[in-house]
Amino acid sequence: MIDLLVGLSVILLALALVAVSYIAYRKSHLRAALYLLLAFLLLAVKKAIELSIRTGLEREAGLVVDALEVIVLLLFFLALWRR
Amino acid sequence: MERRDEILNFIRGRPGVTFRELARKLGLGIGDLQYHLRKLEGEGKVFSKKVGKRRYIFPAGLEEDAQRLIVAIATGTRRRILLLLLERPRSQGEIAEALGVSQPTVSYHMRELEKLGVVEGVRNGKNVTYHLTHDPEMLVRVIREYRPSVWERLADSLVDILTGIGGEND
Repeated sequence: MIDLLVGLSVILLALALVAVSYIAYRKSHLRAALYLLLAFLLLAVKKAIELSIRTGLEREAGLVVDALEVIVLLLFFLALWRR
Repeated sequence: MERRDEILNFIRGRPGVTFRELARKLGLGIGDLQYHLRKLEGEGKVFSKKVGKRRYIFPAGLEEDAQRLIVAIATGTRRRILLLLLERPRSQGEIAEALGVSQPTVSYHMRELEKLGVVEGVRNGKNVTYHLTHDPEMLVRVIREYRPSVWERLADSLVDILTGIGGEND
């Protein structure tokens, strides 16, 4: 259950960053914003696929990886917010 | 009809006024003002643009000017640059120092503002000094009322980060 919640948090944060990158791209037309948008979108898709196929022992290892991904995405948000 | 003329004259005198300010200054109720503005928009005498959380109202004939202004104030750093230039003309170095942002970030925004025709750079020896070419009153009015959403603020930070590390335009 916890791994599902953490995995969903990764997807939500990644999608939120997709939205931020999209607004940034619309405002600036910077290609870098477009690359970031694609990177976050792919991350969200990857996580969705992982959640759908995960079983057995992989779940424990997956939980640690998911938690790290949440921390990385939260730090990115924090970097934007506190700038 | 007199009421509608009064509203139109007010908008002509203060292009970029917000709905809220218009209602407050003219002492009109929300419903009453909405009704008259719909009529004026329908007659093609005024038009409005929603930016951030505010809707700005302009008299007809200023469409291009309003569009340039709205793009110009779209990011937080650009608004701060324009407010600095309202005080006096400055170089990119002075702007970067005053705002605490990197030189490439300022350079990117100045290029965009120049393209929009809101500022102009004047070469003075090795330095380029930038000054406003847009109506300062309208700028102040629009920037003062601007309320970006949380998403926009995050996106503005992202733009500054990307331009600070040398992002390229399309």
